[in-house]
Amino acid sequence: MLDKDKIKQAIFSLCSVMSVSGFEKRATPYIESTFKDNFDSISCDAVGNHLLVKKCGKENAPKVIIDAHMDEVGMIVTGITDDGFLRIAPMGGLDVSIMQAADVIIYGKEELRGVIASTPPHLKKDDKLPAPDELLVDTGLNGKAVKELVDIGTPVGFAPVYGELLNGRLIGKSFDDKACAAIGICAVASTPPEVLAADVYVLLSATEETNRLGGVSAAVFATDPDYAMVIDVNLARVPDTKDFETVEMDKGISISHSAATHRGLTLATEELCREKDIPYTPVAAPSSTGTNAATVNLVGLGVPVVDVGLPLACMHTYNEVISMTDICSLASLVREFISSDKLADKMARREDIII
Amino acid sequence: MNSVQLIERLCAAFGPSGREEAVAQLIKEQIKDICHSVHTDRMGNLIAVMKFGDVNAKSRKRIMISAHMDEVGFMINEIKSNGYLGFDTVGGISESVLAGRRVTVLGKDATLSGLIASKAIHHKEKKDRSKTTPIDKLYIDIGALDGDEAKEHVSIGDFATFDSPFYTFGDGMVKGKALDDRMGCAAMIEIIRRLKENPAEGNTDVCFCFTVREEIGLSGAKAAAYRIRPNMAIVLETTAIADIADVPASRRVADVGGGAVISVMDRSTIYDKALVSMALDIAKERSVKAQVKRYVSGGNDAGTIHKTAEGVKTLAISVPTRYLHSPACVASINDYYAVRDLCEGIIRASASKEEI
Amino acid sequence: MKLYNTLKELCLCPAVSGREEKIRAKLEQLIAPFCDEYRTDALGNLIAVRKGNRNGKRIMLAAHMDEIGFLVTFIEDSGMLRVAPVGGISLAAAAYSRVVSENGVKGVIVPEDKVKAADYKSEVFYIDIGAKSKKRAEAQVSIGDFFVATPSLDKLLGDRVCGRPLDDRVGCTALLGIAEAMQSVQCEHDVYYVFSVQEEVGCRGAKTAAFAIAPHVALCFDVTATGDTPSCAPMACSLGDGAAIKIKDASVICDEDVTRRLCEIAKQKKIKAQKEILLFGGTDTSAMQLAGAGAAVGALSIPTRYIHSGVEMCDLGDVQSCIDLGVEFIKSI
Repeated sequence: MLDKDKIKQAIFSLCSVMSVSGFEKRATPYIESTFKDNFDSISCDAVGNHLLVKKCGKENAPKVIIDAHMDEVGMIVTGITDDGFLRIAPMGGLDVSIMQAADVIIYGKEELRGVIASTPPHLKKDDKLPAPDELLVDTGLNGKAVKELVDIGTPVGFAPVYGELLNGRLIGKSFDDKACAAIGICAVASTPPEVLAADVYVLLSATEETNRLGGVSAAVFATDPDYAMVIDVNLARVPDTKDFETVEMDKGISISHSAATHRGLTLATEELCREKDIPYTPVAAPSSTGTNAATVNLVGLGVPVVDVGLPLACMHTYNEVISMTDICSLASLVREFISSDKLADKMARREDIII
Repeated sequence: MNSVQLIERLCAAFGPSGREEAVAQLIKEQIKDICHSVHTDRMGNLIAVMKFGDVNAKSRKRIMISAHMDEVGFMINEIKSNGYLGFDTVGGISESVLAGRRVTVLGKDATLSGLIASKAIHHKEKKDRSKTTPIDKLYIDIGALDGDEAKEHVSIGDFATFDSPFYTFGDGMVKGKALDDRMGCAAMIEIIRRLKENPAEGNTDVCFCFTVREEIGLSGAKAAAYRIRPNMAIVLETTAIADIADVPASRRVADVGGGAVISVMDRSTIYDKALVSMALDIAKERSVKAQVKRYVSGGNDAGTIHKTAEGVKTLAISVPTRYLHSPACVASINDYYAVRDLCEGIIRASASKEEI
Repeated sequence: MKLYNTLKELCLCPAVSGREEKIRAKLEQLIAPFCDEYRTDALGNLIAVRKGNRNGKRIMLAAHMDEIGFLVTFIEDSGMLRVAPVGGISLAAAAYSRVVSENGVKGVIVPEDKVKAADYKSEVFYIDIGAKSKKRAEAQVSIGDFFVATPSLDKLLGDRVCGRPLDDRVGCTALLGIAEAMQSVQCEHDVYYVFSVQEEVGCRGAKTAAFAIAPHVALCFDVTATGDTPSCAPMACSLGDGAAIKIKDASVICDEDVTRRLCEIAKQKKIKAQKEILLFGGTDTSAMQLAGAGAAVGALSIPTRYIHSGVEMCDLGDVQSCIDLGVEFIKSI
């Protein structure tokens, strides 16, 4: 059985761990110590991709990847002023409109609290937003003290503060995409090996937010799976958005129809949802998914991939919103996906093409 | 079936990026009995292999020839309660060739006719009348009375293409949708036939790859090239040109009737110098008309093929084509012949060489 | 003096992206004494290797040998050549400069008379080779020929040098310097010296070379911008302050373990170094990071002013720091 509370705690816990894009390796000790009992092996490659492997125990079993990226948008220190302020640059597509007066943590020799400086209305000349490289972080320390604790290249993240709204809606930072990662891990961890239809590789991939191609390709190349599911967050419908570009919250997960993913696997995944009463919404992502799925699909000889989305509002802010209902749908789907013999049978590579 | 009939049949097939099965099936029927092997890979690429010379020779060369099967098209992204369909493009289509066109929608069980429509000019504000209608103001009408009826036939994620008649006109010109790149596919089929009749010399595998999804920039050619690991590759394409009135000579790219277009550089590739000169030399030897592309624009499967694995020396030969990515692409059949004949010549010359 | 002479020899050998034959021949000659074997791959990368013992790792060092330039796309009736840029050409910097073709034809590149600098785009530029007519021009140049801005290198005050294309012949110079210094070092690792092609059009060469080598660790040697000129954007990187250890650029975030190790070695061995965060631009570093199953990457950059102009400027002291730090880094693995 999937334990809702356990999943919720796993989400809050994983999302609190600093993993600003490019700094994923700093999360290795947490991942190893937290999940080692539930997996056969845990490893981290040169690029910062973490692989959590759970074998099904069958010989020549097919390999399935469940990918969720574990990097988060954040900032990096680019300079330190003599009076103790930090200059920063964004890591990933941050929403500049929410930056001023935000609480941040500077991950230097020690973890320091900081506030992003803002100009009060009394002193503002216009309502133009500052460019990201004009933003300053106030550490409350003088220049000399800061320079001892912080160096250029130090990552900065938003302060993790989690909470709940009505109807099982969760709020906090970095649900994109560590909520999905936590859900994937919980779903796989709670599935007994004898139920698995394939060897499962939970891939917590690196640098999705900052590298256009993403670190994911390296891990997929090394794993060479038979099929894969990419889980990432999807834009939820809120006031002032277009229906066809968004998905409704609490209606389950989204499944992308795209020229960039595998049609057969996509249709089979939808069928699985219907069979198992898992609510889902089909969405159109014509030429690209905007997620790792398009990249995964093109690795090596090609990897059949399905792109699954968790509805999320306020993306790339420190108060993202997701729904427990959708979280449970995603967890159920992952579990059925890795347990389905029909899928494994359909997607397993048969004799390869010999030229 | 002559060349024009072959191109016509291929163009008629439904095959937007991601749904190339019908095109692949059609091609497979044409070549399955005359190749050493014909396979479909996990991406949907159709790979046909012809082996020449001593099959057990220690060192064999591999040549990859590639043309893409897919065409630009549409995907349904919304079914409105009044029965009309919202859509987006698959691949790059200019909004200026959308309004008023007929389309074919591949629905749940069958293909449906439809049209891309917007409100009549009478209802448009004066300032909008001289402007292109943006795609979110357009809809596809399949005749459904309401959303429920539309949902019986069509789902979100279904594909559509232009529905536009193929014909020959003027002085040896062909017109149709999807000339990009069914002309390349046709050339490969005809080259396969010729190589069957009159085999190439040298211990060489020639791998003909009919690839998927070139138009969305996430081409299956990458997987095909990774499987084949060729010593050289030739991409057969169409190239967008502007050899029409009112365009200055320096920006026309190439001329219809000027023969096969050989690229030196485009946005995705700088082509191998030796292969470019070889192509020009063989064109001269065989009296095939050829022209060097006179502009840096566009990209094609060469972009992904040449960067695959340890790298591949790559050449692109294109049919100069007007009005690319529209329902009415126009090309000269003589330019098609030039591309086909030049490619055949290069295959024969390269196959017989000791080393590529 | 030796660094200057090598750099000058490399700068004066034109090689636009995709047409690197000449510089490759020169580099082959220069690297040959310091390596066990070398080869040229399908795209034209020069890959030289000094073998270690069989238990070692594969370390890849890369610098690109191509430079930005122009492709002739059309010849006017008047004999003027229309061109397209190859790589990130700054048209403002290119206007009214001397150019030379791959076959040695000289000319000048100029914008059309009435076009203001703010309206520069490549379509309004042409190359004048002094031809009276299309026919005369065609005797010297064909569509598909490449041009580069005329190379040069001069000494300025102190260790500073100025000319083009420092990007990335300084990186190539650093690689040669490391290869030479490594001669006297016992190293259990295979060290690959890769002079890559087509960096300026999107890091294409390094990608295939890295796939072939599958390195455990890779270091890129290329130029980086500085924040030490009047009214420039803030950037904590200056000419003469030593090797710039790359934290990130727009295409890559370097491996933290690699950058940390580079910083520690610089401190221990008292090699002048600074940290680099470049907010724009990309380098071969990214291509090496993601080729195949991935590699741990870092980069040692040479701080350079006025990049992609005819007057690129760097400090030879920084090049020496990159060499010293590169050598110590390999020794530390």
